[in-house]
Amino acid sequence: MQTRPYIRSRWFEDIPLGEFHVFGSHTFSELEIIEFGRKYDPEVYHTDPEAALDTPYRGLVAPGWQLTAMWMKLMVGYMENFARGVQDGRRNGAGMGLQDLEWFLPVRPGHTITYTYEVIDKPDRVIRDCWGIIKSRNEAFNQYNERVMGFTIDILAERNPESPK
Amino acid sequence: MTRYWQDIQPGEQFETGELKLSKQDILEFAAEFDPQPYHLDSDAAADSIFGGLCASGWQVAALMMRLLTDALHQQAVPVAGLAAVPAMRWKMPVFVDDTLSARVMVTGSEATSRLSGAGSLDLDVVVFNQHSKPVIELSTRLLVAMQEPANAD
Repeated sequence: MQTRPYIRSRWFEDIPLGEFHVFGSHTFSELEIIEFGRKYDPEVYHTDPEAALDTPYRGLVAPGWQLTAMWMKLMVGYMENFARGVQDGRRNGAGMGLQDLEWFLPVRPGHTITYTYEVIDKPDRVIRDCWGIIKSRNEAFNQYNERVMGFTIDILAERNPESPK
Repeated sequence: MTRYWQDIQPGEQFETGELKLSKQDILEFAAEFDPQPYHLDSDAAADSIFGGLCASGWQVAALMMRLLTDALHQQAVPVAGLAAVPAMRWKMPVFVDDTLSARVMVTGSEATSRLSGAGSLDLDVVVFNQHSKPVIELSTRLLVAMQEPANAD
């Protein structure tokens, strides 16, 4: 069986403006914070729990890009659920860019982060003949319901060739 | 000698070192964080919008952080974290065995930040591949430790 070159997704036209999902949660362990920190952000407050006590963070915290990577992991897991009931394959596209990414509060080992997604705009643009842009606002909250991160992202979604132009 | 927030001025510009991304690096990150066929399978990727196996855009962003962190450590800058990315654009896919490096320009400086003892610097960062083509462009707000005033006594 040939692997699909994409994850099944909905047509651009079938993704409603205003759609909102709480799409996943993850509890960050000390070990996974250290592993990500060693590879991508080797600061002691990401890699060394003892030395981190002596920094302004007063302990180990997750790298900001680990929170966005986890957003992607949970989003991929959920994407096919969005497309439940869709019969044929249609392509989800690439991310084009993001805006207003901000990390508000540190995420520490043992914190459980819950991610939300809301479609805030579907600009009237056609990219390379077959793609539309879905603009979504994404937020992440810790177990105390404090917001730890937020960003807005533009992702391509394939347009239905049969829908009126 | 440590270069604190006070020692870095808008207009300053520097280049980072280089990082080469192997197929293994791309597959490992994708398996953990972005398991989409075009990041995991060469045949599937050939048939996708990217035209070949390429790194997750989030891995490229994380590698940008690694390039930036290593460059700032070399300059003895006490980095205290990343506060924000007002804008970022993925310009081109990063393929197997691409070599990345970044150009960084300091565009602004603020004495206050959400972290006590740190000021913030606005940076414009462009990450290039080995063909000098930009793969991501972003503006960031970086936290840097401030030099504490000398004790009066």
